[in-house]
This record gives sequence, C-alpha cells and structure tokens, in this order.
Amino acid sequence: MAAPLWGRGLMAAPWTRGAFSWFLPCRRAIQTTAVCHKNRAARVRVGKGDKPVTYEQAHPPHYIAHRKGWLSLHTSNLDGEGGAAECTVEDVFIRKFIYGTFHGCLANEIVLKRRANVLVVCAVFLQRLPPYKFYFLVGYTETLLSFLYKCPVRLEVQTLPERVIYKYL
Amino acid sequence: ALSFRGQLYGAGTAGSCRGGGGGAVGKMAAWGGVSRLWRRCCQGPGTFPVNYSSRDMPKQYRFLLNKDLLWVQFSGLHTDLHRHKDNSLVSISDEPDTLYRKLSVLVKGHDKTVLDSYEYFAVLAAKELGISIEKVHEPPRKIERFTLLKSIHIFKKHRVQYEMRTHYRCLELKHLTGSTADVYLEYIQRNLPEGVAMEIKKTKLEKLPEHIQKPVWDKLLSVEETASTS
Repeated sequence: MAAPLWGRGLMAAPWTRGAFSWFLPCRRAIQTTAVCHKNRAARVRVGKGDKPVTYEQAHPPHYIAHRKGWLSLHTSNLDGEGGAAECTVEDVFIRKFIYGTFHGCLANEIVLKRRANVLVVCAVFLQRLPPYKFYFLVGYTETLLSFLYKCPVRLEVQTLPERVIYKYL
Repeated sequence: ALSFRGQLYGAGTAGSCRGGGGGAVGKMAAWGGVSRLWRRCCQGPGTFPVNYSSRDMPKQYRFLLNKDLLWVQFSGLHTDLHRHKDNSLVSISDEPDTLYRKLSVLVKGHDKTVLDSYEYFAVLAAKELGISIEKVHEPPRKIERFTLLKSIHIFKKHRVQYEMRTHYRCLELKHLTGSTADVYLEYIQRNLPEGVAMEIKKTKLEKLPEHIQKPVWDKLLSVEETASTS
C-alpha cells in the first residue's frame, strides 16, 4: 500500500496523527479519519467459526498464481494484446446469466476458457434439480449464448451432492 | 503436455460407431469391438455405420457372426480398406516449396507452468516431425503495474496497486520447408492452451532475382565492346 498505516503501532507525538487524536493524553493512536486502511476485496472476514467457506472464497486475491488459479482465461490481458474490455463485459454477463439460470445450484465460481473461437464454460453444480431439467437448461444456455455471442459456446458441467467446504471461518 | 489438445471439433467420429453387433448377437466385449472394426471397414466413403441385426445381414456374411471363423474372414476384406487412402487434404503441385531459414515461435502467458508444459509439447512435436531446433530460450517477463485510488470518492492517500505479468517462451526452429512449417504450426496452434497467445516470425529464403544474378560490370564491358566495334 502506498499510504503508511497511521492507525496502529506508531508511537507518535500527538501532532503527527489525524484530526482529533491530539486531544487525548495517552500515546495510543486511534483511527479517526480515512476508512480505507484495510483491504476488503474478495475476502471473507473471520467470524465465530460457523461460516462454511470453499477453497476459492477462503483465499484472498494476493494468492492468485500462488495458491489460486484464474477464473477467466483469455489472452486480452497479455502484453501487446487487446480486447480486454469486451472480454470482461462478456464474462460478467455470462456469470450473471448462469447464476440466474441455474439458481441455487452453483457449487463454486464458473471458470471461463477461450480457445480460438470457442467459449468453454466450466461449471460445478449441486444436485438440486432432476437430471432432465439440467440437460434442458444446459442446452438452452449453450444455444442462447451461441446466438448472442456468434461463437460456439460449450458448457462443461460437473455435479456434486453438496458444496465442498475447505474450512469454517 | 498432450492433455492440452483442444477439442475444437467435439468428439469427432468416435461417438458415431455404436458398439455390439445388433441386438441378437453375442454380448462379449471383444466381439463388440471387432464388429465395430468390421463395420467401419465395410462402409463406403461418407456413409454412416448402420446397426445390422443378424436378420438383416446378407446371407454371405452371416458366417461372420460365428466367433470362431472371425480371423479367417478378415483377410478377405482388404479391398475396402484402400478406398480411404486418397486423402483429399493432401495436394501435390509442381511449383517448388517455400524454404524457411528460421521459424520463431514466441508464446506468451500469465502462468509460467503452462508455458513450461507447452514448450515440452512443442519440442516433442518438433522432434517427432524431424524438425531441427535451434534454441529454446525464455525472454525476461514483463510486468505492467498501475496504481488506482482505492475509494470511489476522496481519500487520495489510499491507493491500490495492480499488476499484470506476462511470461514468454521462444522456440526457434531452423531449415524448414513450407509444407512442414504449415503442418507443424497448425498442430501447435490447434493445441494452444487457453490464456496463451502466440506470435510467429518466419524468415523465408528467396531465390536471387534474375537481373542481379550476374554483376553489372560484366554486362557493361560487353556493351562497351559492342559500342566500340559498331
């Protein structure tokens, strides 16, 4: 982080802190101003130990490429390649579409892969619907997205009886 | 490495052959596999295999249903196998093939392990095709970093930094013909993993044009001689 953390550990004289703490006689510093110190992106906060969390949710984003992989694989973000904005917008739409179509059945985040012209959507579902409904929804999604994006869209589906819990937070 | 084979065309013809020789015939797995082979041999070009039940099969082939006589009858069916040999994808022409002195394949990706695996696959493919590899090296990675404001409104002192890492791998091949290069590149590109981009640089060898094949001063001397004599 660019800005130093003034909130803790700084045994400062009162005039180095934020707006009002110099009123206090003690040396302990309290955060009174900017509330942007802690990073909250893609993190599940630690609770009482009753919150089940998957492997994907348990790891914050600085573990990408170390303990986590990528959820959307395309070449737009590489050096010298373009089309990142279109790819991202398509990805967001596809994630929302599938979340809504298979409501309550998603076990984990969707993985999107782009290989040449083909868009492969890899999803892990929970067995909440009877199989014939799954087959229909898969066919419907594939056809609709293919017509929408003018490219072959393939849905690769795996089902699980229940979510795989990595730990409880 | 070969697990990255892209399935662009789906399952292909593997799913079109139905196993088992019809409902009435025996249930052994070995017979099922052999009957599939037999059916594929007998089909004409472009026709789909049809499930023959034992009643529909013509009388002269009914002896094939008997498992004991199977290996004897196979030798007589070679005539149909050769019909598939003239491949429409291969074309022969008289003009000379283009020659490449160097073919440079640069792959870029976010994940270094994926590039390692792809390099192993590409090198293996080149060795199998007999292409001479000049060198395989790893150009240094490039990191693009930018700093943004963390909050949507004010709080200028609190920012967040993102970076995008691009790793490279370069495979240089030498002394290729045009057709070899086309085949190799098509194979490599069909099996490119997702999230990996490729750049190709070809160095072509061209024949020297006719007007500069001989040095100019030879011609000038002959022109002067003719000018002086005339």
